[in-house]
Amino acid sequence: MRKSKSFSARLSSTILLITSMLFIVSMLVVMFFSHKIIAEEAEKNAAEMLSITSLNIAHTLAETESTVKNMAWLVEERLEDTTYMYSITSAVVVINEEIVGSCVAFRPDYFKGKHYFAPYAYDSEGDTLKTKQLGNDHYNYFKKDWFTIPYLTKQPHWCNPYFDEDGGQIMMTTYSYPVMNDKNEVIAVITADISIDWLTSKLCDLNLNEDSKILLIGDRGQYISGNLPDMGFQDDIATYEQAKKSPAFQRLIKKMTSQETGTMTLRTDNHFSFAVYGPLLNGWSTAIISPYRYIFAKLDSMQFIIAIVSVIGLLLLFLSCMRIIKTLTRPVTEFSKAALVMAKGDFHAQLPQIKTEDEIKDLHDSFEYMQQSITHYIQELQTTTATKERFESELNIARQIQLSMVPTDFPDNEKLSIHALLQPAREVGGDFYDFQEKGDNVFFVIGDVSGKGVPASLVMAITKASFRFLSGLGLSIDKMVEKINNTLSASNENNMFVTLFVGKINLTTGEMYYCNAGHNPIVIRHADGHAEYLKAKNNIVVGAFENFNYQPETTQLEKGSRLILYTDGVTEAEDVTEAQFGEQRLLDFANRIDDHDSSKDIVDKLITEVKNFTGEATQNDDITILTISYKKD
Amino acid sequence: MNVTINQEGNKYNVILDGRVDTSNAAQFEQDLKPLMEASNAEIQIDCTGMTYTSSQGLRYFLMLQKHVMSHQGSLVLCNMQPQVKEVFDITGFSNIIKIV
Repeated sequence: MRKSKSFSARLSSTILLITSMLFIVSMLVVMFFSHKIIAEEAEKNAAEMLSITSLNIAHTLAETESTVKNMAWLVEERLEDTTYMYSITSAVVVINEEIVGSCVAFRPDYFKGKHYFAPYAYDSEGDTLKTKQLGNDHYNYFKKDWFTIPYLTKQPHWCNPYFDEDGGQIMMTTYSYPVMNDKNEVIAVITADISIDWLTSKLCDLNLNEDSKILLIGDRGQYISGNLPDMGFQDDIATYEQAKKSPAFQRLIKKMTSQETGTMTLRTDNHFSFAVYGPLLNGWSTAIISPYRYIFAKLDSMQFIIAIVSVIGLLLLFLSCMRIIKTLTRPVTEFSKAALVMAKGDFHAQLPQIKTEDEIKDLHDSFEYMQQSITHYIQELQTTTATKERFESELNIARQIQLSMVPTDFPDNEKLSIHALLQPAREVGGDFYDFQEKGDNVFFVIGDVSGKGVPASLVMAITKASFRFLSGLGLSIDKMVEKINNTLSASNENNMFVTLFVGKINLTTGEMYYCNAGHNPIVIRHADGHAEYLKAKNNIVVGAFENFNYQPETTQLEKGSRLILYTDGVTEAEDVTEAQFGEQRLLDFANRIDDHDSSKDIVDKLITEVKNFTGEATQNDDITILTISYKKD
Repeated sequence: MNVTINQEGNKYNVILDGRVDTSNAAQFEQDLKPLMEASNAEIQIDCTGMTYTSSQGLRYFLMLQKHVMSHQGSLVLCNMQPQVKEVFDITGFSNIIKIV
């Protein structure tokens, strides 16, 4: 009974499949746009962050610059006081916490006897301020960029980062500002050192995630600061140099040194990163490089959550679909059961109650209607069948009655033997025969009522009863026929008629009186074995015209004669080709009768011969045979 | 069985074709109905095409004969085939119906 996959499961699966597909498509669309938005947002954030940091750094550097500039006039003012120069440098370091060292480096031999003179103040370990004179033969600052470039260009200058061996012993960059005299000559260069560590920490203040990298490079692409991850090289610069080998990185450096602002995607070792870059100042440039996996980490986690929620949701959808569809289709299942019950013959199968007004209700109504119709039909059929059975039963009874109306107790004595057969084509028929011994005489009759069936059988009954009655009255044969004719004709609106052959044999004399009222001529088989049709006058059939004057006839039978009386059911019996048995065949049969054949033998042989002739063809007329043997002594 | 009736005044020329048996007896009766409703009818039936008649068919001829007798008409059967004529003879119908 249970199918391998139920309707609800199938429908639910289909719904689930379609929903999943729609869901996946919309997920992909959402993800695509989310990705785009997040990328844009990340770009914007990074750019903003970069901009803020740039501003922040620029601001600090500008402050440094202004601090230095502001001290320049003090240098000019107090040139004679060399000790004061230490105070100036100390002040620069103290005033600006970002400045880790400051120096006023005079041109060679500015002061008599002092080839090098560069008072220097710096933050030493433990945040204590120390001062010293920087220049000597080991540290010839006249050859250092921070001095040479502003000295020659008379312009302030930020020099590239360097490791200060003699000063602060740290990586630093230096701002140098030329101090001019009235003759527009550079007399000294005042400097401020900014720790690269400070810059780095400033950059690291950006609150970037740990995977993000920040890079600060100089105008020629040289490394200034950053937090490139440790890639196993000795320092950041080595890492930077290594990274520079990748073409993507080279493109980034090129754009940065060109002082461009923008974004680009970096692909290094199959990792995608997102770079935002922009110029800082002095030809410096900063870039923030974030790996994609960080930028889209939230998206990934969101995807994961959505996926889990979707799976759970779809599962719930599937289960509820199953449940709903099962609920909805439960009546169908019950209808199916009801149909099965009905198929087994119980037309009062209980139908499910439907409260909804939908197709299921229609189905219910149709089903109910069918149930009622079938029940009604079955009842009608039962009634009809009962009626038919009653008719059949009554017809069978009628047949029994009709068959019992003709005598079957056949006489067989030393003078006479009679045998007969009556085979109606339907249940009842219009053929009949009768005989009656009365003293020395035997009366006999054979008849055929026009038509067949019940109407014929009724006329047959009247005719037969009339014969039985009249034969007992001692009337002549022709009078008997006349009386039967008048009886039937009197009220014969249907014009039913009967062909009759009525005869009487005096068993002593062998004299036979007979009258043929429209019946087939009878066969007489003489004692010598020769057979012929008995010649008779053609009187009108009985029942056609009242008061018809029937002509009697007489003939002399020799002992040993046989009479064969029959109805047209014998001679007109047809085979499948509609050929008739015919009178000649009957005559031939009569000629073959043996002296020893009894009346019964003759009847049996004749009917067998007729049946052999007709074969499979249906019998369509009543067959009656009556044989009378007038025996030898 | 085909029955063709040509009427001219009270003269009816009827042509029969085929056999009259149990299967078409009712139709035959229906076909003869116009003749059964006519008065003073002079009916001539051409039986050339009639090959057989059952007792039921004979009944209709009897009815027709009785009708013309009671309605001042006449009935003549002509061109009857021998085997049909024999039936009419045996049953004595030749005695009451005019056959030429």
